[in-house]
Amino acid sequence: MGWAAFKQFLYGLTGYEFVRHALEVRRELEAVFIVVTMGDLIGVPVLPPIYSLRLLPYVVPEIANWKRQMARRKEFWEKEEYDLHGV
Amino acid sequence: MNTLLAVIIGILTVYLAYTRYARRIDRNVIQSDPKRATPATLYMDGVDFMPTNRNILFGYHFKSIAAAGPIVGAIVAASLWGWLPALVWLVLGVSFMGWASDYSAIVLSVRNEGNSLSAVAYRLVSPRTRTALFLFIFFYLLLIAGAFVGIMAQVMDGQPKTPLGIILLVAMGLLLGQMLYRWKMGLLGATIITVGITFLGILLGPLPAIEGVFKGLNEALNAMTGGTPIVTYFDPTLAGFKGAEAKIMPSLLFWAIAICLFCYAGSVLPIWRMAQPVVYVGFWITATAMVLGLGGAAVATVVRPEVAQFQIPAFKGWNPQLGPAGIMPLWPMLFVTIACGAISGWHALIGTVGTARQIENEADMLPVGAGSMFAEFLLGLLALLAVSVGTKAPSPPATFANGLGGFISVWGVPVQYAVSLAFAAFIVIVLVVTQLIFRVMKITLTEWLGEVILPLRNQHVASFISVALAILLVLTGTWIYLWQLFGAANQLMAALSLLLVTVWLASVGKDWLYAGLPMIFMYLTTVASILVTAYNLYFNVYQPNLVAGRVIPVVGSGLMVLVAILLVVAALLIAVDGWRAFMKHLRRPAPAPGPAHARG
Repeated sequence: MGWAAFKQFLYGLTGYEFVRHALEVRRELEAVFIVVTMGDLIGVPVLPPIYSLRLLPYVVPEIANWKRQMARRKEFWEKEEYDLHGV
Repeated sequence: MNTLLAVIIGILTVYLAYTRYARRIDRNVIQSDPKRATPATLYMDGVDFMPTNRNILFGYHFKSIAAAGPIVGAIVAASLWGWLPALVWLVLGVSFMGWASDYSAIVLSVRNEGNSLSAVAYRLVSPRTRTALFLFIFFYLLLIAGAFVGIMAQVMDGQPKTPLGIILLVAMGLLLGQMLYRWKMGLLGATIITVGITFLGILLGPLPAIEGVFKGLNEALNAMTGGTPIVTYFDPTLAGFKGAEAKIMPSLLFWAIAICLFCYAGSVLPIWRMAQPVVYVGFWITATAMVLGLGGAAVATVVRPEVAQFQIPAFKGWNPQLGPAGIMPLWPMLFVTIACGAISGWHALIGTVGTARQIENEADMLPVGAGSMFAEFLLGLLALLAVSVGTKAPSPPATFANGLGGFISVWGVPVQYAVSLAFAAFIVIVLVVTQLIFRVMKITLTEWLGEVILPLRNQHVASFISVALAILLVLTGTWIYLWQLFGAANQLMAALSLLLVTVWLASVGKDWLYAGLPMIFMYLTTVASILVTAYNLYFNVYQPNLVAGRVIPVVGSGLMVLVAILLVVAALLIAVDGWRAFMKHLRRPAPAPGPAHARG
């Protein structure tokens, strides 16, 4: 194991969890935003389509992931996966 | 026997098991293919499914699985049967079962679109297996919470040099959360400040003035009842298993409640506010102690031979005479007393929902899954060494702290400070895990019964009930039985995980023996161990306290017997369903998955 690999290992032990948590929080916020603005895509009309269409170009890159996330069944311990560490 | 020899045995075990057995299974049975697309690359969403470098993932997975389990288990086992059976089980367990369980769970998830264990169980075995998994998880958490709160309260009460470091750890965890998420400080600076202050607190703990404050506090608390215990009960595991009246003094109850309050806060506050940063600060404390300890154990034979010689007997017998504590046969009890470090079901649960979805390349499954398990084995080995060389102390944790402190002192740290660091490391590693356990118990309770009992949807109600149940278990006093029951639940989860792997291997026409044989051994062993523990609890704790008319220990031990029965019932249901599924797939093996998706 070289020095670079050791640094990556150390990062995995320490800061990586904070990064994952930050990404998770951002994803949750974005998911709510897309539901509110693009709810029509999954049959939840919330916003008049004119506004949805104006926002569409900004949201397009995230739509595929968002739909997959909405459709995927999650076990309760997956939602709190970070909480389980070290048990 | 000395520590250098044990460290060499440990390193040889890792080398031989990894290169001669694990790699062969990976190459010939699983046939991991670096060109096959993994769920992380197929379903990349930037969060859950995220291709991640193997070194980072190794660190992440190791941190996720390594905690108090391998430490406490080795301590208890060495004090019950001697160091030799504990060492043999650690070596054989990790070589033939532990790595196979962790690695295979990750393989199972990677080859099944990143599905969790319960989702695979639902599909391959039966829908009710998922319900059984629920049952396992809740009682597993309850048992471990009771065992950990009990052991921590005893150390905090009996070692006045420890509380200052722990109080500062909690304060620094809160401060770190504020620094990172509110003040947007850099991780490095925040780490130096918070971890540095916590270390300072640990090192100041043994000063007579500081120790005197906590000693005075305990005495003042005990004076409130005039030195009379709050609860008295018969505990057959006390006084070297001769049995004695256990007395819950006000100071012990105070520390148990303080720990529970801390865990309650960790359970109800946002995770970034308390639980996550406390775990992070705690990690540095324990990692420092462990690295210094493992290094010290390796060089102590040359530098300070007097701390490297084993002090406890190698073997105390197949069924040590425990008097009123009942029976404690080496088989099956050793194999559940040491759970993590040899094999653990919890790793499989974490591996499937977390790590498997970040595997970038199938060739990474072995170094990450098996590699982390072997690293945890070394942690268990360190705990075994520490307790084996430790001078005799009133409790196993104190013996462990003396031993680990001896290893750390090899580096020039004064012994009293080294022992203080070892005590703090032990408490920290247990404490941070316990707060997470209460957090997950709250969620489990809400998910399980929230639809039927509406108040359980309130997080304060769910957290309070979890804490109250754990305290009830603590008041039974027999935490060794509690620990063994937890170990059995954990090992049954490992057997379940291996069962799923076996059924899956049969369903795709692969050789299933490397997972099937450990599964059969673990299944039979854990069911037998639960029955032995239930017997001990009923005849040696429940009945004597019933005769004496003591309500709290009767309720507590009765609850533990009930949990044991539920675990056996769940295990039998899973075995029946698993056998049916296995035979179905064995007769008509499904075709192996088609060609790999092309990787870009």
